[in-house]
Amino acid sequence: MKSDTFWRHATLWPALVLFALLTILPLLKLLALSFHDVEWVDREAIWDWVGFANYAALPQDNLLRAGALNTLIFAVVAVALQMLIGFILALLTTHVVRGRIFYRTVFILPILVPGIIIGAIWKLMYSYDFGVLNAVLMWLGLAPQDWLGNPDLALLSVIIVDVWHWTPFCFLLLLAGLESLPDDIFEAAKIDGATRWQQLRHITLPLMLPTIAVTFVFRMILAFKVFDEIYLLTGGGPGTSTEVISFTIYRRFFTEDQTGYGAAMSIAVIAVIAACIITATRATAGKGAKA
Amino acid sequence: MTYHRKLFTTLAASSVAMTASLAAAQEAPITIVINQSPWFPGFQAVVEKYEEDTGNTVELDVNPFAGSLEKQRTAVRADESPFDLLIMNAGFFVEFYTGGFMQPLTDIDPDFALSEDIYTFDDSTCWNAEAKTITCDGGDLLSVPVNPNVLILHYRQDLYDEAGLSVPTTWDELYSNAQALHTNSVYGISQRGQRGTFDVTYDVFPYIWSHGGGIVDQQEDGSYQITINSPGTLAGMETYLKLANDVGHPSTAGQTQTNVIQNMATGRAAHINSVPAPGLFDDDTKSMVVGQVGYAPPPGTAEIPSATPLGHWLAGVPKNIADDKKQAALAFLTWFQTDEAQRAYAEAGSMPVSRAVLTSEMADQPKYRWMKAMAEALPNARLTFTFPEATQVLAITELRFNQAIGGEMDLKEALNTAADEITKVMQDAGYDMPAPEPLQ
Repeated sequence: MKSDTFWRHATLWPALVLFALLTILPLLKLLALSFHDVEWVDREAIWDWVGFANYAALPQDNLLRAGALNTLIFAVVAVALQMLIGFILALLTTHVVRGRIFYRTVFILPILVPGIIIGAIWKLMYSYDFGVLNAVLMWLGLAPQDWLGNPDLALLSVIIVDVWHWTPFCFLLLLAGLESLPDDIFEAAKIDGATRWQQLRHITLPLMLPTIAVTFVFRMILAFKVFDEIYLLTGGGPGTSTEVISFTIYRRFFTEDQTGYGAAMSIAVIAVIAACIITATRATAGKGAKA
Repeated sequence: MTYHRKLFTTLAASSVAMTASLAAAQEAPITIVINQSPWFPGFQAVVEKYEEDTGNTVELDVNPFAGSLEKQRTAVRADESPFDLLIMNAGFFVEFYTGGFMQPLTDIDPDFALSEDIYTFDDSTCWNAEAKTITCDGGDLLSVPVNPNVLILHYRQDLYDEAGLSVPTTWDELYSNAQALHTNSVYGISQRGQRGTFDVTYDVFPYIWSHGGGIVDQQEDGSYQITINSPGTLAGMETYLKLANDVGHPSTAGQTQTNVIQNMATGRAAHINSVPAPGLFDDDTKSMVVGQVGYAPPPGTAEIPSATPLGHWLAGVPKNIADDKKQAALAFLTWFQTDEAQRAYAEAGSMPVSRAVLTSEMADQPKYRWMKAMAEALPNARLTFTFPEATQVLAITELRFNQAIGGEMDLKEALNTAADEITKVMQDAGYDMPAPEPLQ
């Protein structure tokens, strides 16, 4: 018995060492970097200790503030829409048998398309002068819109692209959840005279809660990391209207070469996201236990 | 029998070709890291000619503007650079010089010199490490120019002829011409206003310089002064905004260089101020305005004539590559400076860096009509940023100019905010620089 425990732990070690090398070490290096400013002189990197100065500068960073707010709006609005549309689509299609392979293939197409192509497609569609959206508006006798150049519209335009891109992901997970629900409960409810709405409200939703929670948390994590859509469509502009945290870190760390400050920003963001995930997981676990 | 004969002939021909190729290649293969720009196809063509003429091999690593800078940084900081030639932009080359990353070209070959015909663009090819200044007077030759990017006014010659307009030399004249040509289907002017790495900032320089303004100006004693919230910069930006708001594209704040060039190529713009892409506008597979685009130096004011920013590109050899690679990179640069290469470069649709070619008989041919405008603009062209903190300053100016153009921030507030932010960046970097008085 003792020997079994030993081997169980021993076989875990290679994976743990690999995990430490690939994840923890880079994080520790990033943490160390965040307490320094780096300057290059005669091809040598000079690390100057600055203590918590990089962290202290974060609240004053106007781009970070704008990025944090936009990221929050982006993540909440985009993921809420994706969950809602994905769930409705899953409900509508869960009992469809004919053409199942066809519609599933069509629905998942957007997540199979590479980000760079999505950027190109939507940039063309949103183009003020040559885009199909403005062509339709003008055909209807409406004024063309500056989808990506108007500060009031730009974030919404990017959210629409993200919803188009990621709703299939939510749809697939939620559909799998719906299909795994036991039929006998629904049959019993029907015999008892439950309407479709009552079945949804009192059976489907409570049983789907763990799947919904996992999908939501997973999508929120990905939404907080959004980068490619912003980079390709707006570059964070106009002004700061589509600035998001990942893009701010990219600018500070790579383009401006402020590696110490960029590292501090990264560590702070990792800490905030980790705190959000832990809170969300605990809340979900609590709800699950009550249910 | 026939099959064997064919096989034998093919093998023999292949071995002869391989032998010839091996005999011709005198240098090690090199890799050039470069950005994707309107002038890139011409550079690619001239590299192919180099390979054909010499048998040497050149690989091009092509990236977006910011991506190229990041790759170059990573390469020179590594133990060994994967790139043997870096094509550095005028906005950022100083950080490669000050970091000690570039090999003085005369250390590779003491006889190497810049051809007298090649522009030095305000001595940006040289760096005096002791004095920490850009100068060929006592400085090391660190790079060779490969492209003379400056902003040139592009205008629709056919529309000018129809309307009987004259080529503008001042912003007021440009405004008046743009107003005359502005219709529902043609914008009077299309300007780049989007925030990027060095995008809107680059394009507003002709406006602000010709009104006596600036961003961060180097003084005669080598010190720096922040001028972004000076009355001159304000006046320049007001001129830019007047054109944008009255006769410009409805989405100026969202316009990239690609959009601006596209607007001209599709006949949607009567004017653009852009780095030249002459090969594109005269290519009937890519342009609806073949032979209809005229070129002139950017306008100025009655007091200060045309002033355009140098956005040129410099090729430098990193220190951290093998000696044979350095030799091979230098061989390419030596060849690139020749009259033959420079003419081929122009013929392929890019702008040569040779004064002799730019002012040769080629400029009289309609196909190369942009050459005269370029030769006229270059003497007034100036370096933009000559300190290594340029990327941080640009992050500020790109945002604030864009906010002012998009109406997200009042112009004076944008300039004053930028001045405060630039002051902090420069002071943090150790410059003795007082904050400028705010614009009222």
